[in-house]
Amino acid sequence: MRVTRETRIATRARILDAARTLFAARGFDATTTRDLAAESGIAAGTLFNYFASKEAIATAIVRSAMRRAEATFERRSQTITTLEEDLFALAAAVLRELRPCRGFLRPVLEAAMSPAVRDGADGAGEGDGASIRIAYLELVQGLAAKHRAVTPVETPLETPLPTVALQLAWTLYTGVLSFWIDDASPDSEDTLAMLDESTTMFVQWLRSRRPGEPEKGVTP
Amino acid sequence: MTSLTPPTPPLSELLAALPDSESESGKSGRESARSDLHELLEALGEKLARRPVPTGRLRRLSLLGGLHARIALAYFFHWVRGWFDSPERRRERLSETHLRAALELIESMGYLRGAVMKAGQTLANFRDLAPAELVETLERLHFEAPPMHYSLIREQLCDELGGDPEEVFEFFEREAFAAASLGQVHRARLKCGREVAVKVQYPGIARTIRSDFRNLEALMLPARLSRDWEVNRAQVRYLRRALENETDYEREARIIERARALFHDEDGIVVPRVHREHTTRKVLTMDLVRGRHVGDFLATGPSQEVRDRFGEKLLRAWYRMFYAGRLSYFDWHPGNFFFMDDGRLGIVDFGGVMDFSDDEWELMRASDRPLTTGRREDRLAFLREFIPGEEPSDEFARLADEYMVFSWSGRWSDEPYDFGDAARLLHGMRLFGEMTRRRFTRAHACSPLLSRFEFAYRTFLLRLGARVPVRRLAEEEIGVTGWPRDYATAGGAAS
Repeated sequence: MRVTRETRIATRARILDAARTLFAARGFDATTTRDLAAESGIAAGTLFNYFASKEAIATAIVRSAMRRAEATFERRSQTITTLEEDLFALAAAVLRELRPCRGFLRPVLEAAMSPAVRDGADGAGEGDGASIRIAYLELVQGLAAKHRAVTPVETPLETPLPTVALQLAWTLYTGVLSFWIDDASPDSEDTLAMLDESTTMFVQWLRSRRPGEPEKGVTP
Repeated sequence: MTSLTPPTPPLSELLAALPDSESESGKSGRESARSDLHELLEALGEKLARRPVPTGRLRRLSLLGGLHARIALAYFFHWVRGWFDSPERRRERLSETHLRAALELIESMGYLRGAVMKAGQTLANFRDLAPAELVETLERLHFEAPPMHYSLIREQLCDELGGDPEEVFEFFEREAFAAASLGQVHRARLKCGREVAVKVQYPGIARTIRSDFRNLEALMLPARLSRDWEVNRAQVRYLRRALENETDYEREARIIERARALFHDEDGIVVPRVHREHTTRKVLTMDLVRGRHVGDFLATGPSQEVRDRFGEKLLRAWYRMFYAGRLSYFDWHPGNFFFMDDGRLGIVDFGGVMDFSDDEWELMRASDRPLTTGRREDRLAFLREFIPGEEPSDEFARLADEYMVFSWSGRWSDEPYDFGDAARLLHGMRLFGEMTRRRFTRAHACSPLLSRFEFAYRTFLLRLGARVPVRRLAEEEIGVTGWPRDYATAGGAAS
């Protein structure tokens, strides 16, 4: 029987809903793909037509939360006047949306978002890991362009940001997410402090670079 | 692992170990230092605005023992010693070295944003006595420097009030209009249309203070064999209690409500209403109080009569809270008082208000006899109650008695007390400095806060240049205590 596009979309959504429910109730490790298939009302093998692994399902949930956070951030960003605050606000919006995903964020980070993961190697059929990274870095590029116009002349931002800057931005971002997973401080205030410091450090470093400076050890 | 910090000597030793003032003076740098001040402050403000509060104990330990904190501490005592100089000598000291030290102090306060900054705020009240650069710098920190950007404020409000500021309030101003020691204040409007001030606490400040004081107590350990160990430790713990109180905005809300209930329209003293539905431990929402701070008020050229009336309101408010509320408003920071155009006085920031325990209240009751009679034997009897442990030496008692005379003499006369007399205040400061230098610091645990209050309120009133009938005010307010007061007033009949 031919599966329509609508049916595929609906089934995918059921799987993601089931995963949200079971990951929250039982935890990521204690939930099997068989459990997820049963909860979704599909055969165990059918699940793999949609997602290559449990991690891929978790990654899709994270990607979905991040899309919501990005939409929230883009509304807020209109009134933000510094690159440091924009980067902080973006990550803070993501952290807030990811709260329900905190219990299974680590496997997602390890499988799909680690700076060491290569494109397409996250096991997510639709490339959610790569898509998360690309979406974030495009936003960062956009923010650098937004603030280039208001940057003091003596410390111009180099735009578009060079590869080394994007790699560093991604490393800091995933580092903050990784720190947050285990942050036991009230309201994750230690993560907020770390985020504030890392965004400031990153922007200061960007401003200290001279435009056109060769990137040491980075192959174009 | 070796210690991250150098050993911290007792404060009195720090005083003695200060660098020689001769080597620090430098007239040539003074003007250029002044001209560079605002530029340096811009850069510093920008730097501070983006710094998170370091909450980890080890990290803070390294900071407390670090260069900034040490310079700040040395500068503080250097400055205290400057109280003993002539005005000319002090002016000579306004050198680039002073400026740099002041900036180091601010930097370390802005970064630590805990106990150190709180202590620094007190210094801002010493307007006529501290180097002008230091006061300017401190005032800027109080009123202008926004240490948290709006996105961080948003995160705090979301966590505390359950929604974005734009959802919870009809309007919320992005820029802070005042920086408090433990938070910053934003103007906002409730959905009912009421204008409010919203104080938002720095993330992690409560843990910062706990961490500070654990460090401080750890650093004090080498002194545990000293004669005054118990007294010093008790004083540090009292300070800790005071600062920890300030991190609990729900407590502050309760104190504000207690204080507000003490005043009536005819008093002309305004304590803002708290909005409980927008208040948590880390967010405090209260009515916006409009008026001028003391500097702006004085710039309008008020008459002596107007200044006296405000001086009377200030002391009336303090006595009312003290006698009727069993509250002590310690924090006479210039930013906490508003001189309103209609002649009323507005008071904000009740985080530093202490409510007395029964034991402390009993001590306050005991102080009433010498405060009322002015007799030396009553003062010395009270001194023995106030100082724990062994009998004070003759010299200690002599200096402490002189200090009590300085502190209390306004209560012994029906004449208005002239707080505008700088010589009186300088005399008190010299006495205080002399007692500190001679290690006559053994006193009740609340003593450091009382000293801070004594100089803060007097410096404030000195700046205002007010003459206030202290005895009349106190006698009008004290009746509510119900204390048996069968002793004669100084120079008068039985009270």
